Amino acid sequence: MLQSRNNTSRTRRGNQSALRRARLAKAVFDKRPPRRTSGGRTIGPQDWLLIPAVLCVVATFILATDIPLPFGWDLPEPVWPMVLAFSWPLIRPSYIAPLLLAGLGFFLDYFWGAPLGFYVLCLMAVYGATLLIRSYIVGQDLWVVTVAYGLAVLLFFTLGTILTVIDTGMVPRLISVFEQMLATGVLVFFVHALLERFLHADVRFT
Amino acid sequence: MSYGDNQPFENLKLPLTWGVMIIVAGVCVVGALMFLGDKRGGLDAASYGNRGGFDGVAAKSNNLLSTPAHVVGDGANWLDDYFFAADENRILKKKVAELEKYRDSYIQAKELNRRYEVLLNLRTEPAVDTVTARSVSVSRGPFNNNRLIDAGASKKIRFGNPVINEHGLVGRIVGVSPDVSRVLMVTDVVSRIPVMVARSDARAMMVGDGGGFPRLEFVRGGKDVLKKGDQILTSGDGGIFPRGLPVGEARRGVDGVWRVDLYTNRAPIDIVKVLKFEDFSQLPRADEVLRTPLVTDVLPPPPPVKITGIGSSASASSAAAPGVTPVNNGASSSASSSSQQAPVNRPKPRPVTNAAASSSASNPAPPPPPAETSASAASGG
Repeated sequence: MLQSRNNTSRTRRGNQSALRRARLAKAVFDKRPPRRTSGGRTIGPQDWLLIPAVLCVVATFILATDIPLPFGWDLPEPVWPMVLAFSWPLIRPSYIAPLLLAGLGFFLDYFWGAPLGFYVLCLMAVYGATLLIRSYIVGQDLWVVTVAYGLAVLLFFTLGTILTVIDTGMVPRLISVFEQMLATGVLVFFVHALLERFLHADVRFT
Repeated sequence: MSYGDNQPFENLKLPLTWGVMIIVAGVCVVGALMFLGDKRGGLDAASYGNRGGFDGVAAKSNNLLSTPAHVVGDGANWLDDYFFAADENRILKKKVAELEKYRDSYIQAKELNRRYEVLLNLRTEPAVDTVTARSVSVSRGPFNNNRLIDAGASKKIRFGNPVINEHGLVGRIVGVSPDVSRVLMVTDVVSRIPVMVARSDARAMMVGDGGGFPRLEFVRGGKDVLKKGDQILTSGDGGIFPRGLPVGEARRGVDGVWRVDLYTNRAPIDIVKVLKFEDFSQLPRADEVLRTPLVTDVLPPPPPVKITGIGSSASASSAAAPGVTPVNNGASSSASSSSQQAPVNRPKPRPVTNAAASSSASNPAPPPPPAETSASAASGG
């Protein structure tokens, strides 16, 4: 009798653990259909992470093309991933976003011939700082976002200047730094567009 | 015991923000370690060695993008030439008339310079092979200034080769892959180029700072060694660049620092030439370079001296002259008498060859024959 009771409890425990494993497997491996609500659009990571990252890479490629322009002009060279480093933490904290941003940083290091880790550090500094103050920025007017983006750009280029001094012992020409800051600052319109599309709009994340 | 009581961490949830911050911190640590391990101060071939594959792909993509732009640009130039040919022809005629006088004086000076070089046995720079390439991608930010060109190791381009265009010095090769090379511009923050001022021959170091006007540092010489508009050339010191490549003109910046207005700023950099100049190792051997040739090897022979009406007393007086020091006193008296009858026996000038150079460098010059000594003494030489 006692033996049969023990067998029963062991069987029950085994059933519970099997049920738990099944639940875990379903949660991890099963492809859940995106939740859809009546009020909003459903977006996945590819919408707000992958596609903007690819667009940044393409834009960087295009603007790096050596096209002779009249009057000695050059194509501008803004730091496109800066838009994402500022927008992503405002839209939503994500585990994938910093890793993707690090990938973009390595891309810039390779593509622009910078020492490895240079743009990774600069972009991560902006991402981390924005994440810390996201609760103060989200929901504010556009001009607040614009000022915050300006400060983020300032942080990026200040850190870049410091890292360049550490790397080479040489202070880069500040006028050139300011020129690239200006070109990157103009991208604030893309920040507004991203926030408008993914933060202020009535959307649901999967 | 309810379900979950034996799993103490099940209800413990890490806030998403903290989790993301931990990931950010981890990425920062990895980035910092990579940054510290990839310093660019001592540029060598290994610095960019692991980027060849990426550069190859990036250059091809940029080449695809730039090709249509070049086609459109060439078409626009053709239209421009077509419609403004008459006006341009008038300007060119004026310029040709102006430049003809310079051409004549240039040819004269070049020929004179060649003669001096032969006469002094100067070592001139060896001819350097070049490879023409097109710039397909550019990074022009304040932290990095470099370009990708569509020629690489398959055309025997190597690390350190200088790159020029029709205006002047562009930079040097810092990364090579089979079909693509990365050029470090002279404006990059890690660029250091030994230069000289053409007018005063003063030496300086041209230091890039990410802007279009590199700084001149360590200018050696007095106060007036550098003036506005002085031409700046590569000095060849250090052996990275050949001597005399045009770089730019000296300008004083608004911050009071001497800077170089680069010739390459005059037009967009499109087609470049890679000089297959490496370093001093491709020059002739050091024992040949440092050899000082004998004067008799390079100077034309003096005319023969004829001594007439002077007897043995004259030869005795010439031997005793205070200003004349014969090389071989023991042979001078006997040789002086023979110099009266026979013409002077001089060694024929011979061209400088490598064999002669090595022999003269290794062995001391033999003493001239006594007849030559007395004759040269008599002629005042």
